[in-house]
Amino acid sequence: MPTQTATANRPKQSLTVDEKIQKMRELYADAPEIGKTALENGLPTLTQALAAPSAEQTAGRIGLRQGKVSELCVFLPFVKGGAKRLRGFLQLLEGNFRAADAVGTVHDMRFVFVDNDTKLLFATAYDGDFDEYIDDFAAKIPNAMDLWLCNCEGYPGMRSGKAKEWIFDHQIAAEAWYVNSPNLTAAETRRLEKVGKAVEELLDKIG
Amino acid sequence: MATQTATPTKPKQDSAVEQKIQELRTLFADAPEMAKTGLEHALPSLMSQAAEAQASETESAGRIGIRQGTVSELTVIAPFAPGGAKRLRAVLRLLNGNFSGGRKVGTLHNMRFVFVDNDTRFLFATAYDGQWDPYIDDFATKIPDEMDVIFSAFEGWPGIHSPKVKDWIVKHQIPAEGWYVAHPDLSVAEAGRLKHIGKAVDEFLDKLNE
Amino acid sequence: MLSVKESVGGQLGTRAPTLDLDEIQAIVLRPRPAPYFGTHVLLRIDDAEAGREFLRRLTPHIGSSAHWWSAAHTWLAIGISYAGLEALGLPQDSLQSFPEAFRVGMAARARELRDQGVNDPKHWDAPFGTGQVHIGVSALSDSEENWRRALKIAREQYEAFSGVSVLRSQDFGFQPGDLNPLGYKDGIDQPAIEGSGAEPLPGQGPVIKAGEFILGYPGEAGVPLPMPQPDILGRNSTYVGFRKYQSRVGAFNRFLRAHGSTEEERELLAAKLVGRWRSGAPLTLAPEADDAVLGADAQRNNDFDYANDVRGLKAPLGCHIRRMNPRDTQLTRLTDVNLHRLIRRGTTYGPPYDPNAVSTEADEIPRGAIFMFISAKAMATMEFLQQEWIDEGNFVGLGEERDPIIGRQEEGASFTIPHEPVRRRVHGIDTFNVLRGGEYFFMPSISALTWIANLSG
Repeated sequence: MPTQTATANRPKQSLTVDEKIQKMRELYADAPEIGKTALENGLPTLTQALAAPSAEQTAGRIGLRQGKVSELCVFLPFVKGGAKRLRGFLQLLEGNFRAADAVGTVHDMRFVFVDNDTKLLFATAYDGDFDEYIDDFAAKIPNAMDLWLCNCEGYPGMRSGKAKEWIFDHQIAAEAWYVNSPNLTAAETRRLEKVGKAVEELLDKIG
Repeated sequence: MATQTATPTKPKQDSAVEQKIQELRTLFADAPEMAKTGLEHALPSLMSQAAEAQASETESAGRIGIRQGTVSELTVIAPFAPGGAKRLRAVLRLLNGNFSGGRKVGTLHNMRFVFVDNDTRFLFATAYDGQWDPYIDDFATKIPDEMDVIFSAFEGWPGIHSPKVKDWIVKHQIPAEGWYVAHPDLSVAEAGRLKHIGKAVDEFLDKLNE
Repeated sequence: MLSVKESVGGQLGTRAPTLDLDEIQAIVLRPRPAPYFGTHVLLRIDDAEAGREFLRRLTPHIGSSAHWWSAAHTWLAIGISYAGLEALGLPQDSLQSFPEAFRVGMAARARELRDQGVNDPKHWDAPFGTGQVHIGVSALSDSEENWRRALKIAREQYEAFSGVSVLRSQDFGFQPGDLNPLGYKDGIDQPAIEGSGAEPLPGQGPVIKAGEFILGYPGEAGVPLPMPQPDILGRNSTYVGFRKYQSRVGAFNRFLRAHGSTEEERELLAAKLVGRWRSGAPLTLAPEADDAVLGADAQRNNDFDYANDVRGLKAPLGCHIRRMNPRDTQLTRLTDVNLHRLIRRGTTYGPPYDPNAVSTEADEIPRGAIFMFISAKAMATMEFLQQEWIDEGNFVGLGEERDPIIGRQEEGASFTIPHEPVRRRVHGIDTFNVLRGGEYFFMPSISALTWIANLSG
């Protein structure tokens, strides 16, 4: 049963940097040797990180977010034959996920088959709160969603009205989440790519 | 990959697409009813997708893992060392998402740390630029201590400088079966460059209006 | 006094309604009269039995939507917050069947609603955000006389005995020209609801399944939305998001003067923020100048889409009405706009719009708009709108930009006006409407009200 840590209720940090370092040392007192050494060697950089303001927020009901970019991670047990079917389907798609393009907020997503093909790990980085758009997915891309999710145990169907809860029940919030450009949404990236291209063309004309 | 023409009616393509559709139908023959219906509804768009296959197929990221364009995935699941979950959770709480080490590496798009199976296993998943070997080497050279502080939570982690470390990672890495990247050619560096250009353009256009 | 038909230009076609109109509260389907007068009264229940007695007395006076297309002079509406349902003694399993957002109340959803900074619930006017707002009663009338009479009736019910206390009372009313405090005709666009018994007005968009707005009917996905239990409580009921905004008229006028040197420039700039001219004429149909005849014509003033204005050269992509209803605007994310509509009943309070008010004191005069946003999933829709279409501009490629009329602006915020050859970006846009309070209410059907009133214990 996945653990759903209450990331929305993270205790507020009120420790000073020194207190945090102290806590680190206490934590690592019984760590493997490699960890203990690394802590001492890496203290300067670590201190910087501990001194910075929090970069993490919640992505809504569950999950973490940095800036605009959220993480979602679900473990979905396969139905009998589901792994084989999904594997075949993914191979046929050859990396083309039109529905993900259409959604417009997905940065990346991966399908990993774990525990001897008994479970699907689906992990994605996307913009905003997915909760907000699940009804829109049900309205616009129900077939695309049903096609891969049907391979998972207990999936009620995108049009059942119960998909949101089902996904939530299988979601595990990350303990930590890092994004290189947290305020760069997929939409903003598309816009910048156009701008970049226009600039190149302009410079070509001038030059 | 053959150039796509405007008329997707070349016999060769048709039969390749036809074959794919057939394979899909076979695959879904014993699927739940909802899926079979879903497939039939989705077929028109799948057919056009297959006919216009983009040059965005996934390739190998090197020794292990897959890549689309310039962006690769790395997914590792392994048991925690004794006390590892508790330690790591506390460390991550203290860090609050501040991984300055990530910026140092320069090829890291995103990464997540997930505790599964009641804190007995640790899932680490990341998206990065380029190939697997140089990526691991990069971490070892640029942020070895940060790596070891965190990954010592794994049972049997040999240390980033150990000659065994790459084997250890391979042992616990599971390559994705499907990997999608919205902007496969946009490296971390390129994203930074685009942001600068965007800002400069906005300032320039604002000035034009004054 | 105009009948509904007259107030929409005399051509209100009707179809046979398929909804239980006599169960649905009048305010859900009846358009606001013109002119309109009224009062919102907020009450606290101190004693469960007294509260139920109050409901028993008031329910016969609550207007229903029966024959809503015919003239009526006055109607009362009533909403109950979660705290109010608890105070009335609803059974536990019934209470638990309400959605989370409703249960915790609007103040607790500040993060989801992006009610931060100056809009933070800790700054709200009492009694909002204290958990004491249990019942909201609204009286809406077409004349001053009828309004006073309706209010008297409502007052008689709660002044008769102790156990129900008035927390706050806010009069509202029609302003000259039916303008809101920033000087604009509002409330033009409403969703067309299937089965309500009316032809949609031109431009209202596709008819939307009733279940999106009223509980117990199929929604767009073909199934009814989640409904509280028991059935008699949920069916034909709905939810209301009640939000009170203070309009900073001085700030609005100062902004226009700072960024427009002639009256013409200022009016165009203002129209670019709203998406309509003051008369209500939409920029999409009247891109260069106001057209009062168009603005007054309900058959024409909403009859447009954005197919010929993809880039927002007429109505900016980030203007208020385009954010509140994107219609066929190309959005950057997969969205079904029909899932995010609200019935909006706006009520203006305080002194009317003053074009010459420029002082910071003018900003503090209590005047503004109180909105009732009605839908079978009002909480989820409002939180979606705030997050996706008001508090940022990513959905139309505008990054951090916020709604220029109701968005909370940070220091140095900007507003983009698409233009050839170069877009104009106005810097230093201020917050023109500040949130002073709000609450999520359940709006029970007539039978549900009776059921609640007759609970025992």
